[in-house]
Amino acid sequence: MFRIRPRRSFRILLALAALLAGCATHVEVAGDFPTPVTRRLPVSATLVLEPAFRAYLLEVSEPNPVSLALGDSQADLFRTVAGAMFRELQVSDQVPDPAATDLILVPRVAEVQIATPTETQLQIFEVWISYRVQLLDKSGEVIAEWPLAAYGKTPSRMLESAGDAFNQASIMALRDAGAAMITGFTRTPGVSDWLSRRGAWSPAEPAAP
Amino acid sequence: MLGLLLLASILAAGCTRTIIDEYRESGRALPLGRSEQVVVLGRRHDGEYETEPELIQCIARRLDDRLPVVPEQTFIDRVYPWFEPRTAPLGLRRLQKMLDDPDVGRRLHETGIRYMIWVDGNTETTDRGGSMSCAIGPGGGGCFGFTTWEKTASYEAVIWDLGEVREGGRVKVDAKGSSYVIGVLAPIPIIARVQNSACEGLGNQLREFFAARRS
Repeated sequence: MFRIRPRRSFRILLALAALLAGCATHVEVAGDFPTPVTRRLPVSATLVLEPAFRAYLLEVSEPNPVSLALGDSQADLFRTVAGAMFRELQVSDQVPDPAATDLILVPRVAEVQIATPTETQLQIFEVWISYRVQLLDKSGEVIAEWPLAAYGKTPSRMLESAGDAFNQASIMALRDAGAAMITGFTRTPGVSDWLSRRGAWSPAEPAAP
Repeated sequence: MLGLLLLASILAAGCTRTIIDEYRESGRALPLGRSEQVVVLGRRHDGEYETEPELIQCIARRLDDRLPVVPEQTFIDRVYPWFEPRTAPLGLRRLQKMLDDPDVGRRLHETGIRYMIWVDGNTETTDRGGSMSCAIGPGGGGCFGFTTWEKTASYEAVIWDLGEVREGGRVKVDAKGSSYVIGVLAPIPIIARVQNSACEGLGNQLREFFAARRS
């Protein structure tokens, strides 16, 4: 009769657990964001990084379990980009009342989607991030609800893990979000009028080439 | 004898065929001043493929012994966010607008880049066939069968002269190669290095466009 000894069964279970764990991918998205080349607007701003934004985690269970911890990196990106866009930047974890700055930015994640080469039949890993950035004036009045869509991809490489590929694609998506902020801010309905009224920007003077 | 012939034919098929076309604006070599540099950049705006960063690094390495080449990521970071897939100029008119912008233009001049070499294309698996099965048991293991795949690389490199804001020339390369794995107990791979051949073809041809500067 075939008998499995306890020590052996423990090893088999350990090996099976290792194999199953190998199917799940967890990524702590990490990367550096360069300081953007842009013209500073002559307004002061408060960037509100809410706890939910800084701790954002995407969890997908199908077709394979994937979790992407985007929070720290997206907070870094918004700090770096907003820091280059405005004359002065303050960072807070809640909407200040009253605000000490002309403008308040509150970014929130609306949706994140990912795709692997096995799903799309393309040789790329993809990440989409959709933000809604609420823009408030000093008194807390809403100036605009700014939808910000970002996309990043990276080619699949032999012997590269899905985790590394998703990290790279996420960093590309975050860099794309930064590019969208720089190029789209003054074109956002509501923002251009608000800036014009303050004499901070003129539609005749393009903010970006 | 038959075995040798079979092996020779397989090895020959494992090689890569490369076709290179080039177009020059003029017969003169492209001049490069003492403080001027070159950057090789991959096109990444298409939704269905991405020019591989490792191909760009490979071309840059081939040029680097003759020309001062700035690494792609270093350049892209210095001018962030103006050379991201969303914002990178697709034509010379857009490049001129960037050069005319007081902030972006100044930063581009500070990088010292005289020539941008844009590479667009990718390497993909175009055909696949055969099958192989591997098994392992208490007495040992092995693989039996035969599998093959074909890879096609198609790239175009365009040289932009930032000094005169014009195109300096272009090179197109198409490479194709078949790879095999023969399973006779141990799997024997015969891999065609298609992307490497494309890099070699593009790199060697691009070097000829420039007047040699590094000794």
